[in-house]
Amino acid sequence: MKHLSLTARMSLMFMLAVIAVLTVAGLSFNELSRHHFMMLDQQTLDEKLESTQQILSNTRSHADLEGVLPQLKALLGAHHDLAAVIFANDGTVLFAEPQAFNVPEKYRLNPDHGMWEWEENGHMYRGMTAQVSTPDQPAFLTALLILDVTNHVHFFETLQRWFWLGLVISALVSAALGWVVARSGLRPLRQVTLVATSMSARSLKERIPLEPVPLELQQLVTSFNAMLARLDDAFVRLSNFSADIAHELRTPLSNLMTHTEVVLTQKRNLEAYEENLYSNLEDLKRMSRMIDDMLFLAKSDNGLIIPEQTRIEFSEVVTKLFEYYHLIADEHGIQLVVTGSGSVLGDKLMLDRAISNLLSNALRYTPAGKIISVTIKSTASAITLIVENPGETIKPEHLDKLFDRFYRVDPARREGSPSNAGLGLAITRSIVESHKGKIWCTSGNGITAFHMEFPQQPS
Amino acid sequence: MKLLVAEDEPKTGIYLQQGLTEAGFNVDRVMTGTDALQHALSEAYDLLILDVMMPGLDGWEVLRMIRAAGKDVPVLFLTARDGVEDRVKGLELGADDYLVKPFAFSELLARVRTLLRRGNSSPTQTTMKIADLEVDLLKRRAVRSGKRIDLTAKEFALLELLLRRRGEVLPKSLIASQVWDMNFDSDTNVIEVAVRRLRAKIDDEFELKLIHTARGMGYMLDAPESE
Repeated sequence: MKHLSLTARMSLMFMLAVIAVLTVAGLSFNELSRHHFMMLDQQTLDEKLESTQQILSNTRSHADLEGVLPQLKALLGAHHDLAAVIFANDGTVLFAEPQAFNVPEKYRLNPDHGMWEWEENGHMYRGMTAQVSTPDQPAFLTALLILDVTNHVHFFETLQRWFWLGLVISALVSAALGWVVARSGLRPLRQVTLVATSMSARSLKERIPLEPVPLELQQLVTSFNAMLARLDDAFVRLSNFSADIAHELRTPLSNLMTHTEVVLTQKRNLEAYEENLYSNLEDLKRMSRMIDDMLFLAKSDNGLIIPEQTRIEFSEVVTKLFEYYHLIADEHGIQLVVTGSGSVLGDKLMLDRAISNLLSNALRYTPAGKIISVTIKSTASAITLIVENPGETIKPEHLDKLFDRFYRVDPARREGSPSNAGLGLAITRSIVESHKGKIWCTSGNGITAFHMEFPQQPS
Repeated sequence: MKLLVAEDEPKTGIYLQQGLTEAGFNVDRVMTGTDALQHALSEAYDLLILDVMMPGLDGWEVLRMIRAAGKDVPVLFLTARDGVEDRVKGLELGADDYLVKPFAFSELLARVRTLLRRGNSSPTQTTMKIADLEVDLLKRRAVRSGKRIDLTAKEFALLELLLRRRGEVLPKSLIASQVWDMNFDSDTNVIEVAVRRLRAKIDDEFELKLIHTARGMGYMLDAPESE
């Protein structure tokens, strides 16, 4: 059953249902007909027996019998399957019409008004026995009426034969019909399959139309379309990422090639070569770092980044990072302030890196003389860390995309140092998400804030 | 100091050999795992640099067999694959360090020197001297030409690191990791600022400059007549 096609399965079930219905109907019909015939026979025998008794009740002696014979013959002749035997008390046959029957003894003297049946020489008989009493002589004669019901038997045999034949034909026809019905019923499914088969990375934009699909399949089609949408989204992001990689690597590569070729076009002094090599080294380092960052993101996308679980106190991390960054902050007269505390279970190196990215980002955009403040809050349900810095307000349409790879608010401008490839915030987000946290950015009134939120874990 | 470099990519191998030789090491180079094993077992090296992916035997297999033969020479792995499980596997087998390609040569050199120093740890010094600069590691005090120099804790840590590894170019990433415990690349110029500040205190007033910049690579503390 497991390997049968849906069409075959449905045809088979359809056929079995038809066979079951027909069999029940056939058997009921058979039983009802038998009963009906039996009632008919009984009625005939009853009627005739009563008439016979009537006729015979007028006879006084065996001799009188001769006188009523024509009446008896007329009675029996109307029904050519009917036969009658009349016995005297001593068992002698007084009358047998149309022929003598070898009636078994037990039926011969069985006056209990029931109907009996026996078979002989391939004939089936039904009979009734009655005692005829006259006013002066009780149990004077015994009358037997016998009905030849062989025809009925033949009728039932024929009926059964045709029934079985009919059943086989019906089964075959119903299987065929079932197949046709199932196939046409499953046509929408085949159409869905056809569309699904034709899907490729190129046609992820296509959707299976919902209107012509029957109700039962709509759920399936909706789920399938939703899956396509997710795939499409992932695919678009992946293609954009690949395009970005190509673009981002192309710039330093083209620098390297141009610069090297230009230097090689003529003989130069040692310093020029040295200068070229240093410049190349800078570009190479930038590329190398970008590859590292992209690999980190690729691993994080594939769920390969499994953070360690140690308890990390955010205020300690921030203080340590401040020690590092205060050197730059001092240069620009920027103050670094941290308030609050809170701890999470997580990977120290990764969280260091995530917060460090936010701080270096804040340092990049904070005007000289201002304050960058880090606020750590610990509530019953969550730990939040907010890095806030004054700076140009970021337009709302950019806020969500800030965390996309290579995303720059102003595509023409490469902000910060040349090694800033636009992956920092993407890495920060993937670290936060691998710790089951959330990160978002708000910006308004000249204040930009990055919020990190982690679920509170029991210590 | 005798090193063995086993690297199947010829260009990489040749450059490594050249760089290490110019840094004062005696370097043998092989290109297959089988040769690496044979060399490592038959000659006495101070350090092995093994590429993980090599024809014949891979780096791990070579390391396993060397350790099985009872040699505990330090081993530094080079690999293009940066998987945590690779790292763990290498370290479990007894590798001493692990560098992922592409790496900066200055980084490799710094690690090679660290590994070589590990074997013969010099007695813990409490004072160090270079040219006219004297540093007392216990009292956390630095004096140059008899003049006391005030240093912050981090500045002192940076100076101590440069002093301990005088004559070596220290990459910025190594300085960030050792002094500030920043074990990842940060795209800021903090180290430049820190070195500039240290220079202002140590070098600016003096004719003889001790802190040198190796452009694009890192920083080095050295003096011409240092012993």
